[in-house]
Amino acid sequence: MAIERASGGTSLIDVLDRVLDKGIVIDAWVRVSLVGIDLITVEARVVVASIDTYLKYSEAVGQASPASRPGIDAKAHEEVLAENESLRAQLAAKGVRTPASKRGKQLRA
Amino acid sequence: MQRKTAAKKLPVKRAKRRATGSGSGSGSGSKKPNLTLAAVEAPHKAHDTRGKYVYCVIRAAEPLRFGPLGIGAETAEVHTVNYKDLAAVVSDTPMAVHDPTRDNVLAHERVNETVMRKHTVIPMSFGTVFKTREDIVELLRSAYEAFNDVLVKMQDKLEFGLKVLWDRDLTLREIENEDENLMRLKNEISSQKGSTYFARMQYGRLVDAALQARSERYVGEIFAELRDVSVASRANKPIGDRMIMNAAFLVARDQEAAFDAKVKAVSARHEKLTFKYTGPWPPYNFVNIRLKLERAKEAE
Repeated sequence: MAIERASGGTSLIDVLDRVLDKGIVIDAWVRVSLVGIDLITVEARVVVASIDTYLKYSEAVGQASPASRPGIDAKAHEEVLAENESLRAQLAAKGVRTPASKRGKQLRA
Repeated sequence: MQRKTAAKKLPVKRAKRRATGSGSGSGSGSKKPNLTLAAVEAPHKAHDTRGKYVYCVIRAAEPLRFGPLGIGAETAEVHTVNYKDLAAVVSDTPMAVHDPTRDNVLAHERVNETVMRKHTVIPMSFGTVFKTREDIVELLRSAYEAFNDVLVKMQDKLEFGLKVLWDRDLTLREIENEDENLMRLKNEISSQKGSTYFARMQYGRLVDAALQARSERYVGEIFAELRDVSVASRANKPIGDRMIMNAAFLVARDQEAAFDAKVKAVSARHEKLTFKYTGPWPPYNFVNIRLKLERAKEAE
């Protein structure tokens, strides 16, 4: 598929995504309440609250999956199961019977 | 998170403010607060009803002009207010809150794109108006270090946007065809008598995991391919069901053609994905300077 680059100003959504709260941002409340920032007569002064530049590569992240995904993180779930398994094995080695060993999988948080 | 909330609330607050504010601003009480009127009236008004809308900060020791591109109906001349080797790119505008309408937002962006052709810009977020030239000089003076530092870091770098969308159902069918377990489960569900609850649960979990893995693989591949031709990248949250990637890349000006070619090559290789490629943008996603105003007396 051939794709063409669209210049910034062609998509309103892309523009809004950027201009509303990125770049140099002056405290929104001040902006709204003063209607025009007046430094000289109000004797206010500008203070830099924070500067961030992002000059790193971000981690590649795909979209999180939709609603049917279970609340438990699958990986953590597996870890817990594995841990249960090893604990049960230790107990079995000591000759202790656990109710869980009959029922199979049991999740302990 | 907080930032998003604030941004969403803003237009409401602004609208209210205008409703109450514009009445007192206008000397003729019988006239309705109306944008067109304000624009027509403005040139005859005293100086204190005029303000300067700020688009961005650039490096420039001499005053510059960029043409009649300004925000608002009068499309005023875009020019600079200079302090030392910094300049704010501004245009004269009525002293009012600018709502983020289509025209206003696009005007803001249009000015930045024009300035960006020859200058490294630090973009101002939408809707900042100062009362006088002196106020803007004061802004540049107070935040000089911050602006200077960021201008050095962003020197000759451009931002590009890349969104990637997929057809979820099509991908799902592909995954089902490739994965025996899924195929078997699906057949089980359709042929089984009685409750299929557990089979369906398991099927759903497998499908989600497979889709997630597939999406991460695509996104990982795309990021990896563009790494050599970019300076930095940011992954924003995808919007909606179809989007798997919503990224911004910072690219050196002299790498623009290489980046462009690479994006096209990557998209050609993934013909089932839809790519939305935009730019060049001012480096909105790579710069965040938060400024506060303090009363001078409190600061002592």
